[in-house]
Amino acid sequence: MSVKVESHEKFENIYWAVFKDTGERKLATKNLAPGHTVYGERLIKYEGEEYRLWDPYRSKLAAAILKGIKVIPIRTGDRILYLGAATGSTSSHCSDIVGSNGMVFCVEFSPRVLRELVGVAEHRRNMIPLLEDARFPWKYRMLVPQVDVIYQDVAQPEQAKILADNAEFFLKPNGWALLAIKARSVDVTAEPSEVYKKEIETLEKRNFEIKDVVHLEPFDKAHAFLVMQYKP
Amino acid sequence: MKKIHLVETILGIMAVDDQGNVIEKELFEKNSEEVAEKIYKLQQGEIIPELQQIAQKVKNVEEIVVEDESLAKALREMYQAKITVEKPSPIAQQIRAQIPDLAQKYNYAKSLQEYIQLTHQIATYLTRRKIRTAAEKRDQLIAQAIETIDDIDKTLNLFASRIREWYGLHFPELNKLIDEHRTYIRLVKELGLRKNYTRENLQKTGFPPERVKELEESAKTSMGANIAEEDIEPLQKFASITLKLYQLRKELEEYIDESMKETAPNIRGLVGSLLGARLISLAGSLEELARMPASTIQVLGAEKALFRALRTGARPPKHGVLFQYPAIHGSPRWQRGKIARAVAGKLAIAARIDAFSGEYMADELKAELEKRIEEIKKKYPKPPKRKKPEKVKKIKIRKKKKEKRKKKGK
Repeated sequence: MSVKVESHEKFENIYWAVFKDTGERKLATKNLAPGHTVYGERLIKYEGEEYRLWDPYRSKLAAAILKGIKVIPIRTGDRILYLGAATGSTSSHCSDIVGSNGMVFCVEFSPRVLRELVGVAEHRRNMIPLLEDARFPWKYRMLVPQVDVIYQDVAQPEQAKILADNAEFFLKPNGWALLAIKARSVDVTAEPSEVYKKEIETLEKRNFEIKDVVHLEPFDKAHAFLVMQYKP
Repeated sequence: MKKIHLVETILGIMAVDDQGNVIEKELFEKNSEEVAEKIYKLQQGEIIPELQQIAQKVKNVEEIVVEDESLAKALREMYQAKITVEKPSPIAQQIRAQIPDLAQKYNYAKSLQEYIQLTHQIATYLTRRKIRTAAEKRDQLIAQAIETIDDIDKTLNLFASRIREWYGLHFPELNKLIDEHRTYIRLVKELGLRKNYTRENLQKTGFPPERVKELEESAKTSMGANIAEEDIEPLQKFASITLKLYQLRKELEEYIDESMKETAPNIRGLVGSLLGARLISLAGSLEELARMPASTIQVLGAEKALFRALRTGARPPKHGVLFQYPAIHGSPRWQRGKIARAVAGKLAIAARIDAFSGEYMADELKAELEKRIEEIKKKYPKPPKRKKPEKVKKIKIRKKKKEKRKKKGK
């Protein structure tokens, strides 16, 4: 089967894998740890480089790109504070995008889940595993320097507050934030759109400028994805 | 006269003035494992030698700014200076912006690559250490064991129905005669073919005389197919392994009981080790159970019903796994909710003692609980009169709940 890899028309270090016989286009990133997969994704060789297919059903960032989000503010050499890294599927793609001079600080609260990520990080020096609670940013203040981007995907209530608290500690002025809002973890009884509205209000109050919002259906139910710029 | 900010970094500790200039610094030795250990201590709010040294170096300080209350508390015991907490401190933010550059400036790392590698190593040590500590707590083992028991129960049911169906080809009447799976499987394993259902053999397996007669009789007149010795053998092997699973289940129960004695004696004393273990497994850990309000403990295991109630305004569940508590499932329906509430209240206390202090108070708690259950039984001996739930009323209830939740800020 022949595959061609081409750069994404808008976003740095993100690629399309084009399958010639079916015409399908799938997202991919260049593998920083050649030969290793993270969550069973397919590896593709093209012109001497190895790429990893990026599954939008497993990664909300990939889903957001496919749903046409306008900005992906992650660039070569960026430092990212990643809250809610889980087993490292999305964060490993971030690690591909920022490259070996960038850093991805992976904060995850569950030891069981982070154990997998520590294994992933063994082959990726730019991934920094941290067993911490994102609600208490001061606990990891000695490990995380100022960052260019905060990515947050946590299953906790008060998602907007957690993001804003972390931004105050670590995000550089005019830095960016990416937030996956799980409506269900904020308030199980409210309608999803009500939840988004309330969280967005909180974010604006705390110096975030919303640049774009996409909904992640059909990849994820009751999820919205926000891109924001921090203007303290 | 002077105000300094203490900034802890992976490079070491810095004292910074109001303009953001580093006045003093105490760098860590370049050993990732040791640095990880020091950062771990700082996170626990402990004073490390570097912190003391830097405090001695900076003289005439009136105010020290830190970013963590537990550290502030420890410092207050040591110094006269005023200790304030800023979360975050803008000065510390300025320093955090320069860390990768400072690492090279202080010759701590020769290049950006080395800084990245150091951070990676330190964080990995720290994280591994924390994961290990989390795994060492016995409650996780208990949770796994109780979940294994549930798995075994499911498997046993599955296997038992398979054995009944398989053996039913040969001796269909036995299915109705023996209700208990374990006895049935034992007969399959020990006797096998129908011709072995003799009085002598059956008496050996310990049946009372009238049952022996009944079994012998129906084995003789059975309408099942005649099968060969070699056809029964695989089934007997299967039966024997299934019986071993029963044995394993019993051993697991004993193991859980022993571990609960050590890990959660109060919960065990109050509701027994199996139900206690199940609550720990549902909560995630002993500590998480201890942090739960009694109202949450009351409905643990009934999440589906609880969220349905919150969403639609239907009636909330009265109990989750707590239903297994004898005084709850053994009582009339209208008393169960009240008893469940009382049990959950005492459980919350027991869990907190087990998780945080550890003395044994289960007997007192149990006595109080039994007294309360007595009261409930006396006060509500008869079922309440049924009110017809009207639709209008339901909506009212829902609104109230929502307001309450909003007030709590959830």
